Amino acid sequence: MTADPGSGRPPVRTSLAGRHLLLTGVTGFVGKALLQRLLTDVPEVRLTVLVRPRGSTPGAARVEKLLGGPIFADAVERAGGVAALMAERVAVLEGDLSDPPELPTDLDAVAHCAGDVSFDPPVDEAFRTNVVGVRRLLARVEEASAAGARDLHYLHVSTAYVAGRRRGPVFEEPLDHRVDVDRELAWGLAQAEQVEARSREADALAGMRRKAEREHGRAGMITAAAAGEEARRQWVKDELVRIGTERARSLGWTDCYTFTKALGERVVEAHAAAGRRVTIYRPSIIESALERPHPGWIEGFKMAEPLILAYGRGELPLFPGAADTTIDVVPVDHVVASIIACLARPPEPGEPAYVHLSSGHRNPVTFGMIYDHVRAYFQANPFAGGERGHTRLPVWTWPGSVSVERLMRTGERAHRAAERLVAMAPRSDRTIDWTRRLDRQGKRLAFLRRYLDLYREYAEAEVRFVDDHAQALLASLSPEDRETFAFDTATIDWRHYLEEVHCPAVTQPIRDLDRLRSRQSRPDPSRLRVLEPAPAEDAPRVAAFFDMDGTLLSSNVVETYLWMRLAELSPTEKVAEAARMAARLPKIVQADRYDRAGMLRAVYKDYAGARLADLDAIVDVHLAPYVLERLAPDAVRRIRQHRAAGHTTVLITGALRPLTRPLTPLFDHIEAADLGVDDRGRCTGHLTTPPLVGESRAAFVREFGRSHGLDLAASFAYADSYSDLSLLEAVGHPVAVRPDVALFRHARAKHWNVVDWASAGTSQRVLDPAARVTR
Amino acid sequence: MTRPGFVLEVDDRTPPLLVHEGLGFRLEEFPLGTRVVYPPEPIPSLRDVDEAILDALLHPVDAEPLPTLLKPGMRLTIAFDDLSLPLPTMRAPDIRGRIIEHVLELAARAGVDDVELIAANALHRRMTEGELRHIVGERVFRSFFPQGALSNFDAEDRANLAHLGVTEKGEDVEISKRAAESDLLVYVNVNLVAMDGGHKSVGIGLASYRSLRHHHNARTMVHSRSFMDHEHSAMHSSAWRMGRLIKEHVKVFQIETTLDNNVFPRPYDFLMKREWEWSIRDQASMLAMRRGLALLPQKMRHRRFHDLRSAYGVTGVNAGEVEAVHERTLRKVHQQQRVEVDGQTDVAVFGVPYLGPYNVNSWMNPILATCMGLGYYFNSYLGRPVVRPGGVAILYHPLDEGFSTLHHPSYVDFYEEVLAESTDPAVIGEKFEQQFATDPWYIHLYRTSHAYHGVHPFYMWYWAAHAMDHLGDVIWVGADRAAAARLGFRAASTLRDALEIASSTVGTSPSITYLRNPPHLLADVR
Repeated sequence: MTADPGSGRPPVRTSLAGRHLLLTGVTGFVGKALLQRLLTDVPEVRLTVLVRPRGSTPGAARVEKLLGGPIFADAVERAGGVAALMAERVAVLEGDLSDPPELPTDLDAVAHCAGDVSFDPPVDEAFRTNVVGVRRLLARVEEASAAGARDLHYLHVSTAYVAGRRRGPVFEEPLDHRVDVDRELAWGLAQAEQVEARSREADALAGMRRKAEREHGRAGMITAAAAGEEARRQWVKDELVRIGTERARSLGWTDCYTFTKALGERVVEAHAAAGRRVTIYRPSIIESALERPHPGWIEGFKMAEPLILAYGRGELPLFPGAADTTIDVVPVDHVVASIIACLARPPEPGEPAYVHLSSGHRNPVTFGMIYDHVRAYFQANPFAGGERGHTRLPVWTWPGSVSVERLMRTGERAHRAAERLVAMAPRSDRTIDWTRRLDRQGKRLAFLRRYLDLYREYAEAEVRFVDDHAQALLASLSPEDRETFAFDTATIDWRHYLEEVHCPAVTQPIRDLDRLRSRQSRPDPSRLRVLEPAPAEDAPRVAAFFDMDGTLLSSNVVETYLWMRLAELSPTEKVAEAARMAARLPKIVQADRYDRAGMLRAVYKDYAGARLADLDAIVDVHLAPYVLERLAPDAVRRIRQHRAAGHTTVLITGALRPLTRPLTPLFDHIEAADLGVDDRGRCTGHLTTPPLVGESRAAFVREFGRSHGLDLAASFAYADSYSDLSLLEAVGHPVAVRPDVALFRHARAKHWNVVDWASAGTSQRVLDPAARVTR
Repeated sequence: MTRPGFVLEVDDRTPPLLVHEGLGFRLEEFPLGTRVVYPPEPIPSLRDVDEAILDALLHPVDAEPLPTLLKPGMRLTIAFDDLSLPLPTMRAPDIRGRIIEHVLELAARAGVDDVELIAANALHRRMTEGELRHIVGERVFRSFFPQGALSNFDAEDRANLAHLGVTEKGEDVEISKRAAESDLLVYVNVNLVAMDGGHKSVGIGLASYRSLRHHHNARTMVHSRSFMDHEHSAMHSSAWRMGRLIKEHVKVFQIETTLDNNVFPRPYDFLMKREWEWSIRDQASMLAMRRGLALLPQKMRHRRFHDLRSAYGVTGVNAGEVEAVHERTLRKVHQQQRVEVDGQTDVAVFGVPYLGPYNVNSWMNPILATCMGLGYYFNSYLGRPVVRPGGVAILYHPLDEGFSTLHHPSYVDFYEEVLAESTDPAVIGEKFEQQFATDPWYIHLYRTSHAYHGVHPFYMWYWAAHAMDHLGDVIWVGADRAAAARLGFRAASTLRDALEIASSTVGTSPSITYLRNPPHLLADVR
């Protein structure tokens, strides 16, 4: 485009009067702002919006909803309602950019604002949106202009960062590169297929399965398989992102987004070369509005917002950039104003116009300045303090990205080490507390890692987008238009923009949320559902399933084995037996992690030769008091509440049936391990049925539910270990009792009840409780 | 030579005084002018206990000698007090065991074969074999326990209860069927405090809930002033009516014993001495013990205290007709425990020790601590309460021991569910007692495990009903605040703070009386 003096050229409103304009991406941030601006300030333009139906909502309905928003209130009022406005000015063309519909033939211009704004899209998606989508749209544009015999102006919203890793000034001209678009496109589109295929290779699958079984094997093979498949899907996604980023970097771009955007420009340039009118419009980082629709207007979170919010929460202790690096930010209202100006001043056919909308060239703002303003803002307007008052705002020392990276790596290593430790730590309140803290820290680290990786390129980008064309465009406007369609980024007062416009706007939703949260008490995971008796006689019955070891009483299978075993031995034999078990313990613990059933079988083998009647007697005389003493009072109360509510109570345990004898009156059904007995009443050392562990517990629950006419969705289950996951998931109201780390995490993620039932502090944990009774 | 109890007035020469508080004690500086009531020193004990036992059996009061009551082919039942007496547990041999041996010997000589021994534990927990053995002695235990002829009384064994009728006031009398249908019921008691013994032995010790509910309730307890004084105790009047009805059905031969107050054996004997008379050795023991206790975890402190066995001296053995025997017994108890106190006080201070009747070999939970302080200690008076109506009781106990889930399962629920709703004894009795008393799980635990009956925590709370009715405020020094609040009381960290809190009720310069207990004392307030 050539810079003509503003006098002599018609005003924007006149230039666009009676013109028919197609907009894409109006449900997005820029598109929406553009639509609003056109409706308000260019009343004579006719608009068609290309909108894709979402789910069962047709495009028209989406537009209707969009126009119902507050920023369109003026336009709607003037037209006398949303329907009237749509009938009068906004036609809806339903369709998807991956396969655009035929365009109206009377179009004068197309402004293509749609696109994926994520910086790390999977490679195939990036190509599909930014290259294939553009190509197909242009094909339709070509068709429409041919059919209508019109000289259609295509305005392509790209990004200033297509400049990639270039340094120094970047001018408003075609990018200098020799990438073969078609080749890259073919490669990019093929990646999804290839990565999927690679993820299904036997070796890869075996690796993922082993890892999943290590972590989830205790919960059962189905759970582990689900986790493995989930991991594979995630791997495919991550790999596609990684491949895209690597390819982009190998060619000099920062990421796949800017890379494919740059290739998209090539597609547009090819279209222009056929003698078409084309504007390639490159804004830098688009942030909240300076003035219109209202100061601070922003939709969704863009690039800087998560960082600003994290800083305000005290969670962003460091930053990889340098204080003097420029970051190129422009307000959205400048963007849409300049787009409208571009539309009003179409370039000559075959001579694509390039326009930068940027601030760094004439009114640079540096990271240091942004930091100062954001800090000043939060110092004056901190987030609502929690229980411990306002958070301390981190002081950035700008150590440079190498140090930041080192710090991050150390942090991540420490976190991984702590993770391993916690996984091995014995179950206790403290472990749970550590886990909670580790998880919080892990989330923060992941957040930091993601944003630091994503923005490192931008934080180091020492690039200056020269905006001479944009300035010339502004100069071509009449003085009134320069007022109405202001987009001179040099006039932005950064202190005002950051401290009084942008930060207040982006923090407002968080402040509202904080206020809401402070008003409503946080749900307490330890607060259990109040049990009510079933309203009707014929209603399906509700059951409560309880695990025993670790849930009702703090004990484990080895311990209970010793209780029974030691009761019948003389003092010297006791020492020998305890020592023998101690020697076997590491193996047993190991086995318990991976193969609970096998572990139980191994321990129960030692009962071979014992008389079952004797075992019953030992429990009744010697062990019952101990078991009852170790019972967690809260657990007993809960069981009794279930019974009072008329629920069926069921005990599920891998422990031997004799040990459950003291609990018999509390349960309607007890599912325990039964020792096989020979014809003389002596134990064979084998069980009569496989021990009920892992997923077989869920199978039992389902079968029990079916045969007893239970409503499992209304039923309850209480268990302590990740190996009981399937049991818990089989009912509608699962409760984790003093959970291990894995189950705790699962319960927290699923918002399950987590309770801390413990044996009374007055009870003693001993290996030979029978010895106490005679005292 | 035994010195009687006396009342000390704290002046500037008074050293800090010992106050018990659960599994420990502290030395407290009381404000000048505080009256401190000390129990009498141990009174002389019998030199030959066996001779005294035999003498009592052969020359009973208002009854024929025991040998003449024993006939071949008769049905003899010997009931005895359970482990709630004496406190602390007596060093072996237990006096009950020694008496039972003599009774059994006379019975054997008379050719009595049908003998059963029943622990009169009413709604208390079943004792373990070890505990039973301790009371009756090894020999008796071995001869009777394996055959099932020595057992704990089971107040929920409907088949083995006998309903003997109702008193003139409409009170059901239901006791052990075996006892009721015996030709002779010998009861062996230990009369630790004035409320024990008399008709309370059979009428309460062998009774079921159906019978007990008539006097173990908030109304009766508020009108038992005090239950250490049976003639002014509504509970005892009821028990006495029942006892007289029982007498019409079964011949009761009552044997009551009294002990001196040698509760702390060496090296803990300094705990019983008057502080200004502590020798160097006593002071060293005291220091060593305080330091040691401070270092020990709670479970080990618990163990140290609960392993204590006291070397009591037996001060009296009386046998024969219940009421006549009990009169003599009370004289001895009063001789050992009675201290004259001149007038009531604004503030009474009690140190609640580690042990009460219901946590032998177990844990002093907050409800039991309340019962100990406001039930036993507050009611340990003749005439009028030590503290004036509307006055304040200051109690020392950390209230942090928690509950034994084996012995006190219903207490846990009582604390969590009942006290959370109300602490008014009348209200909770009305609303919850039935539910707890008939709960099948509690009954199962009472009958098969070692749990106090489901209704027992209510009785503990009723014990304190008179005090709660009488007092303006109750403040626990050094107590867990949450526990004190749940019980409906207040907590203070020091005596000064407690007095500061009390000042809104009794003013800034109240009269203060500290009952230095244990050993047990009975304040005769004039």
